[in-house]
Amino acid sequence: MTVRVVVDPVTRIEGHLRIEAMLNDSGHVGDAMSSGTMWRGLEVILQGRDPRDAWAFCERICGVCTTVHALASVRCVENALGITVPKNAEIIRNIMFLTQMVQDHVIHFYHLHALDWVDIVSALKADPVATAALAQKVSPSAEKASPGYFRDIATTLKKYVDSGQLGLFDNAYWGHPAYKLPPEANLMAVAHYLEALKWQKEIIKIHTVFGGKNPHPNYLVGGMASAINLQGDSAINIERLNMVKDLITQAKQIVDTLYIPDLLAVASFYPEWTQIGGGLGNYLAYGDIPQHGISDVSSFKFPRGAILNKNLAEVLPVDPADAGQVQEEITHSWYEYSGGKTALHPWEGETSPKYTGPKPPYTQLDENAKYSWLKTPRWKGNAMEVGPLARVLIGFASGHGDFKEVVTAALGALKIPAAALFSTLGRTAARGLETQLAVQWLKDEFDNLIANLKAGDSTTADTSKWEPSTWPAEAKGYGFTEAPRGALCHWIHIKDAKIANYQIVVPSTWNASPKDAKGQHGAYESALLGTPMADPKRPLEILRTIHSFDPCLACASHVIGKDGRKLSEFLIRV
Amino acid sequence: MMSGYLNFLREPAPILVLGLGNTLLSDDGVGPALLDHLSISAQRWEGQVEFMDGGTQGLALLGRLCGRKALIIVDAVKTGAPPGTVHRMTLGELRSANPGRAGSAHEGNAGELLAAAQLLDELPDRLFVVGVEPKKIATGHGLSAPVKRALPEASKEVHELLTQLC
Repeated sequence: MTVRVVVDPVTRIEGHLRIEAMLNDSGHVGDAMSSGTMWRGLEVILQGRDPRDAWAFCERICGVCTTVHALASVRCVENALGITVPKNAEIIRNIMFLTQMVQDHVIHFYHLHALDWVDIVSALKADPVATAALAQKVSPSAEKASPGYFRDIATTLKKYVDSGQLGLFDNAYWGHPAYKLPPEANLMAVAHYLEALKWQKEIIKIHTVFGGKNPHPNYLVGGMASAINLQGDSAINIERLNMVKDLITQAKQIVDTLYIPDLLAVASFYPEWTQIGGGLGNYLAYGDIPQHGISDVSSFKFPRGAILNKNLAEVLPVDPADAGQVQEEITHSWYEYSGGKTALHPWEGETSPKYTGPKPPYTQLDENAKYSWLKTPRWKGNAMEVGPLARVLIGFASGHGDFKEVVTAALGALKIPAAALFSTLGRTAARGLETQLAVQWLKDEFDNLIANLKAGDSTTADTSKWEPSTWPAEAKGYGFTEAPRGALCHWIHIKDAKIANYQIVVPSTWNASPKDAKGQHGAYESALLGTPMADPKRPLEILRTIHSFDPCLACASHVIGKDGRKLSEFLIRV
Repeated sequence: MMSGYLNFLREPAPILVLGLGNTLLSDDGVGPALLDHLSISAQRWEGQVEFMDGGTQGLALLGRLCGRKALIIVDAVKTGAPPGTVHRMTLGELRSANPGRAGSAHEGNAGELLAAAQLLDELPDRLFVVGVEPKKIATGHGLSAPVKRALPEASKEVHELLTQLC
């Protein structure tokens, strides 16, 4: 009999991502289904609204990634209306983007994913002196690595655990045989977890400076609403910019002396995970960080392209405007398309829910029927993985020097071949490697901004096409970015100055999509195939692979329950 | 009402009223909506109280809790009571909760936020939740009628708390 392991929700709270994994006789995952279990359909809210307001709604799609949805939204309107943003706006958007990416990746590593590899409870058994020795070996330039420091961390941790509330560390499989770090490595990771927790609340101030406020920084169709006057005191001035510079320096230090050394240290204990969780082998990135305008794709620091069948010798061109490239299917999704159509390019996209699944609560879904609220995006009919691994592989395969350098260094440090990147650990490593690049580029972009300001250009917006009277009666556009978890694109159809249609294909829809008409699995499903399971009742291995994608299915509602068990309850966003 | 970009450079106001919720999920947006309602009388607490729309951010709000004497979270609170019922909870009641670790860095998880603040020993000394029982948590912009009707009463609760705290 097939054992069916159900992880629902993967993200711990109901109404999310649900994974059903069917184990074969040898205890490996033989088949897998990824299901989004709640409908959102935000597109419906946007219809009929002013396109210039869309970003403010889109910012609320996701609890944390506010800035990427706002960015994709203003870019799609600008693309439709033929607006080019000034140099400063391009740079500031790059700074906002990179800040978000660095913060998000560090948080993901320490506060979500590390706990799949680091046993918090084991850390309590660590010897502080041995931990200090380990820490100095792993990262000689780390600021804090004394026995006293680690003794204090152990005390803090013990106090927290003894309070009877594991809180942040609850709902993990402590003591699971798949945890392999020695207690000292676990304690070191806990210490850096706390450092990262303190640091992440500082870095995001960069969004406050340029976005006027945070959470939910301001964006603007035509540029950025960031008034700059270096000598003034009622706009962004040199004092504020110096603070940004300090925050970037701090971020670089966290990435270079904590994140990357920890990542490599943890990875070295789990070599078997370079053989697990690879999945599709197809990768897609729209690219981002323009240097000479969004229309000059060749100038992007994150290059655009697609890789099929792990073939790093060829990066295929990608065009979001081509109706034959990105299409959303609904073979296994609870939607219907007019006229019985089965796949639509987002400009023609439709959002008509039609639930035909079992009445919740249910024990299992039917993999042969419709089984998800996520549509199935495909690129030229191929299932694609998006995210850090896709970006790093596309950068590497495109021959970009920055990518070659960090990838080669990491492979050398871990003594593994490039093929090891096609794995769960490869995905987790790629996230760190692109963070290394992102934090360096953040510094570069800041220097670009200062140079441009000092050259006398303080323009941050082009408002010449602000008034709808300057717009054509009808226009279509697309706006893309590389959200921390992957390729994100918004498609807009403007008619008579209102939104006639708006479609969003988010990264987690690519990665978590159900099967398509041809029976091809989505990226999560594919990555789980062949995964060994030590204990089906504690599916840590499934979580490792799914978390390596950094799933974003939680965004997000915020209901507090009075019974205490459910302090928060979340709905799905995909 | 919104915090200006200079605010974080100053000393934070001793009391934070933090509105949480997703304005695109109907009644889940009652937290931010309540902030709008409170903004009518916000000047009364000038310098004492900061009102902040936290959306569905989780850990990203951690930096905004530090250095506060008191925190009032306004949010949707689901207990099964009739929609529009106003709830008031204390820190003790919250402590009985076991919110756990978020499965995604993207979960705007109030529980995780508070647990992280506790771990860093930066939890404000006094903590309250004023909430409204939602009717509908589903895609949509705007509150249901019973929740909208509850705004004045929920506002009054917040005002009473602020009067005690200030």
